[in-house]
Amino acid sequence: MLYVGKRSKFEGLVRAYSAELYRYAYWLARERFTAEDLVQETFARAWNAWESLRDDRAAKSWLYTILRNEHARLYEKKRVDVDDALEVDTLPDPEGASVFESLELRDALNALPPAYREPLLLQTLGGFTCVEIAQMMNTTEGAVMTRLTRARLTLRKLPGWDARRKAKTR
Amino acid sequence: MNCFEFRRLVLAEPRRMTGEQREHMARCEACAALAKEIEAFETAIHDAAAVPVPEGLAERVLLRGTMSRSARAGAWALAASVLVVVGIGAYFYAGPGPEHEEHIVAAAQLGERHPAVAAISYVVDHESRLLRETPVLDTAVVRQALAHLGLKLPDSVTMRYLGNCPVPGGIGEHVVLETDFGHVTLILVPNQPIAPRVIVADRKMTALVAPVRTGGYILVTDSVDKVRQAERLLL
Repeated sequence: MLYVGKRSKFEGLVRAYSAELYRYAYWLARERFTAEDLVQETFARAWNAWESLRDDRAAKSWLYTILRNEHARLYEKKRVDVDDALEVDTLPDPEGASVFESLELRDALNALPPAYREPLLLQTLGGFTCVEIAQMMNTTEGAVMTRLTRARLTLRKLPGWDARRKAKTR
Repeated sequence: MNCFEFRRLVLAEPRRMTGEQREHMARCEACAALAKEIEAFETAIHDAAAVPVPEGLAERVLLRGTMSRSARAGAWALAASVLVVVGIGAYFYAGPGPEHEEHIVAAAQLGERHPAVAAISYVVDHESRLLRETPVLDTAVVRQALAHLGLKLPDSVTMRYLGNCPVPGGIGEHVVLETDFGHVTLILVPNQPIAPRVIVADRKMTALVAPVRTGGYILVTDSVDKVRQAERLLL
């Protein structure tokens, strides 16, 4: 009976979160087959560690954390240390990206350093707060806010968005 | 709250507006315009980040979970399954080829996690939808994969679908073939051990699991005669 309950809850989690976890995994790995493997591995680990999930409301952030750790364990040879003192102007300039906005943004997301891209995706795709992201990334809320601000400022410099903004202020 | 503080918060967490921020927006036109612009920008970032999700992902996760859980069962279950496997092996594995008389085992005897039973479930639950998708038909790849397992694809057989599917311990090739005697599903399991040879009947379908030196294959169709006929065709 307990097994049946666990299985139906697990199935619910798979159906609710596999798509968004896949998207997050895609941006971590930037390769669709690896992204699917990561999702598979995440749920396999979640099933095995089911007893460590004490609060159902924390399931989503728990799954994201497992996925993030799995990616680090399997694919990241060296974790990139972030210099939060890095100025926005020294971040990769998105200029030269595609003229089509969505593609332009996608290229620019790709070009962002992982330490800036990751909290942005956790917030945009996962809907997490700065506090939750800080817990997942093992850092402070202030550091997350800084990275998110810099990520958005960098993306706003894209030619398409910059032109649109300037047109509005005229 | 001043404009500096408002901007700091709106750039860090645009989707969460505090009461103080709302009050500030009501007084400051420039910050209200910025908030509106950032909101539109946020939607654009979300749309750009929302890459397409492969069809059937959740089903594959659940199926792989079902299959791998059997492999991770405790020592007791393992001991029990060894007995079952040895029993089935001793009973059915009288000879290496399909020509020998083989009995059909009911799915209930093996459990839903057995590769043959899981393969039947996958075919019954997902195949009709997969066949409606645009197939990627690279016959050369299939021929190569078949050759790796000591099988061949005769010219009389047409390939209708090629994709991936979960198999015990990983991902296999899911091939749907159209033969003179109807539609046959072939699941290739390369480079990993598979259950002993067995024919299983479940949900009006029959599956044959056959291990070979470099992996194994599973054939699924709607009768035991067709399963055997399909195997003869591929060997």
